[in-house]
Amino acid sequence: MAGSSEALPRVTRRAQSRLGIALVAPAAILVLLFFIVPLGNAIYFALVRFDGVNPNPPFVGLENFAQMLGDPVVWKALGNNAIWIVIGTAAPLLFGLVIALLLWNVRHGSLWYRVAFFIPYILPGVAIGVVWGWIYDPIRGWLNEALRLVGLGSVATGWLGNPDTALYAVIATAVWASIGFSVVIFLAALQSVDADLIDAATIDGAGPVQRTRHIVLPQIMPVFLMVATVTLIGGFSVFDIIFVMTGGGPAGATEVIGTYAYSNAFQFNRISYGTALALLITVLAIPFTIGLNRLQRRLSLYRMGA
Amino acid sequence: MATSRSGRLPLLAAIFALVMAGCTGVPNAPSSTADASAAASDGGGEITGDLRYLVEAPEDPAQLDPLRAQIEAFEAANPGITVELEAAPLDTLRTTLQPQLRSGEGPDVFNWGSGPAFGGAFAEAGLLYDLTEAYEQYDWPVYGFARDQVTFDGKVMGVPGEMETIGLFYNVDLFEDLGIAEPTTLAELEAAAEAIKAEDIIPIAVHDAEGWQGGHLLSMALSSRVGGAGMEALLNGEESWDSPEVVAALETWRSFNEAGYLPPTPTAVDYDTGNSLFFSGEAAMLPNGSWLVNDIPEVDFEVGYIPFPAEDGPGIFTAGLGSGPYISANTEHPEAALEFVNYLVSPDFGRFMVEELTVIPPFPVDTAGTDVSPLFTQVLEDTSSFAGGEGEFGANIDVRSTELFNEAMWNGVQGILTGQMTSEEAAQAMAAVPAE
Repeated sequence: MAGSSEALPRVTRRAQSRLGIALVAPAAILVLLFFIVPLGNAIYFALVRFDGVNPNPPFVGLENFAQMLGDPVVWKALGNNAIWIVIGTAAPLLFGLVIALLLWNVRHGSLWYRVAFFIPYILPGVAIGVVWGWIYDPIRGWLNEALRLVGLGSVATGWLGNPDTALYAVIATAVWASIGFSVVIFLAALQSVDADLIDAATIDGAGPVQRTRHIVLPQIMPVFLMVATVTLIGGFSVFDIIFVMTGGGPAGATEVIGTYAYSNAFQFNRISYGTALALLITVLAIPFTIGLNRLQRRLSLYRMGA
Repeated sequence: MATSRSGRLPLLAAIFALVMAGCTGVPNAPSSTADASAAASDGGGEITGDLRYLVEAPEDPAQLDPLRAQIEAFEAANPGITVELEAAPLDTLRTTLQPQLRSGEGPDVFNWGSGPAFGGAFAEAGLLYDLTEAYEQYDWPVYGFARDQVTFDGKVMGVPGEMETIGLFYNVDLFEDLGIAEPTTLAELEAAAEAIKAEDIIPIAVHDAEGWQGGHLLSMALSSRVGGAGMEALLNGEESWDSPEVVAALETWRSFNEAGYLPPTPTAVDYDTGNSLFFSGEAAMLPNGSWLVNDIPEVDFEVGYIPFPAEDGPGIFTAGLGSGPYISANTEHPEAALEFVNYLVSPDFGRFMVEELTVIPPFPVDTAGTDVSPLFTQVLEDTSSFAGGEGEFGANIDVRSTELFNEAMWNGVQGILTGQMTSEEAAQAMAAVPAE
């Protein structure tokens, strides 16, 4: 191929280069404007001490990052992020896959089921947070009422005000809201699964779990990893639903890096420290994202899956 | 025109630097009154401008109607100025107002709290219009002690909010039915709570889901414990926040929670739910402020209002200032905004505040002949002695402290109510916050 490229006349090569640049330019400009510039801007702010007023903030080098390492709230928030990432990634994948498999062969009303499961995903996070806040209300909330009705009144608590339950109550809300996305994507991927292989496995005596594990999952694995990547990144950058439902409380029990970055930047005027915290989210999310992306690409190259 | 690759790089770098410089998010420099005269007049001397005025949303949206009528009267008197009234819940304002102002998309005039943590934080961020010259120009008769609460670095940045007190509302009829007298000591309050609890009624409807209520809880218990002078000593840094008195005040609420005098998980009960528990008769007492008088709905019982009791006496009310008008540093119509704020400080508007909003403005108002409820008459009398420097009052800590301190205090109270902290730990966390 290199030889054929060299054989082209110089004028043609130049024309090809111009065409290539013209084709790449729109995407490159978008990346520059919406990724490189904001990232560079964020790095700049993380290296100075900007309080929101001084247009020439002093350069402090890595001071904000050093402060981050010694800040106990950061470690507590990272722990909450980790819990969120594990449960908030695993639960939508698991429940989404199970529901998609159950809906896979539904012939009548399949569309309605899909719409019903997908609607929470398109609702604004703020609205979801407010409504679920009412459901969790300790005095008049439906959840405690339901628990009392079935004789489980002793379990009733102030879900969002109890440090033992608050984070999990918010995660449950987020899982409820995101399952629809997994269901719809998995259902689409399941359409390309080879039915002959499943029939063959059934004839060979494979049960539903074995068929799912050895026949279905490998075929939808790239899609599975794509959904995993999206939900995983969401776990790193989670902010809105916690902000609306608990504001990081009670007493920091649901604080994550996103809410802590916000309060530092916009409540305490520590914009540089808030920016450094936001960069921490990015830095932590990148290796996971790249790893899952590479795995997904490798599986696609091996012609596995949808 | 042909450009070499090496020639393009500096060009790209220059564009990159320019774009970066445009994205630094530095707010506009604060305007001055001098800018106002140049900016807003439309050449012919008449002041013009379309203003957005943002206030805290009341419990009942219909309560905004009288304010709208006042604004219409202002617009009629100032034909070149229009004012669009906007309202948002307090917790929304707490989280979104500052980003709005920073982005330049905020209101021209907005009501916001007085003191370092509220107006002070905004002033520090360069988000407020300097009103120092306007005070002299318009001769606004704001009380000196109130004006001090909106003065930061020697500049008067706003009009202080209404004067208010914090204490305990209680169901007078229920107390009479249960044969309980109005508590005049902390021990009597505990005895009353015990008797009320025995009737399966929540004794004190503490609500602390949002967190900020923790500042009021501590303020009222501590004010009655250490008195007005003691509060000033704490707020001025002469006493430490981990002193035994502060720990004891925190311990009062912790022990009340442990004894079952508060709703289950008070950190999950929000402001509205806490109030509704009291209004519905499900709770006998409600820690809240005088601003609630205007929001009390039609209830079939008499409402009393007392200070949080001290160990050896009836205690003192906690006094503070509410939300008053500020002008955004980024307003495009500073002169129109000044005219509007001037109206908000006028005697007519002051009387409207007393009669219609049932709040007490931070400037003298002739209240003779006003038709207000007996409860509000009591509040008027209390706060008039506060304004006149008579009687003893405690201090609402959060309007006198920094945002960082408030965060430590709010977390501390939530921490003791949820068992995440001891009272000593909560006090130490407050004491550890730098003074500035």
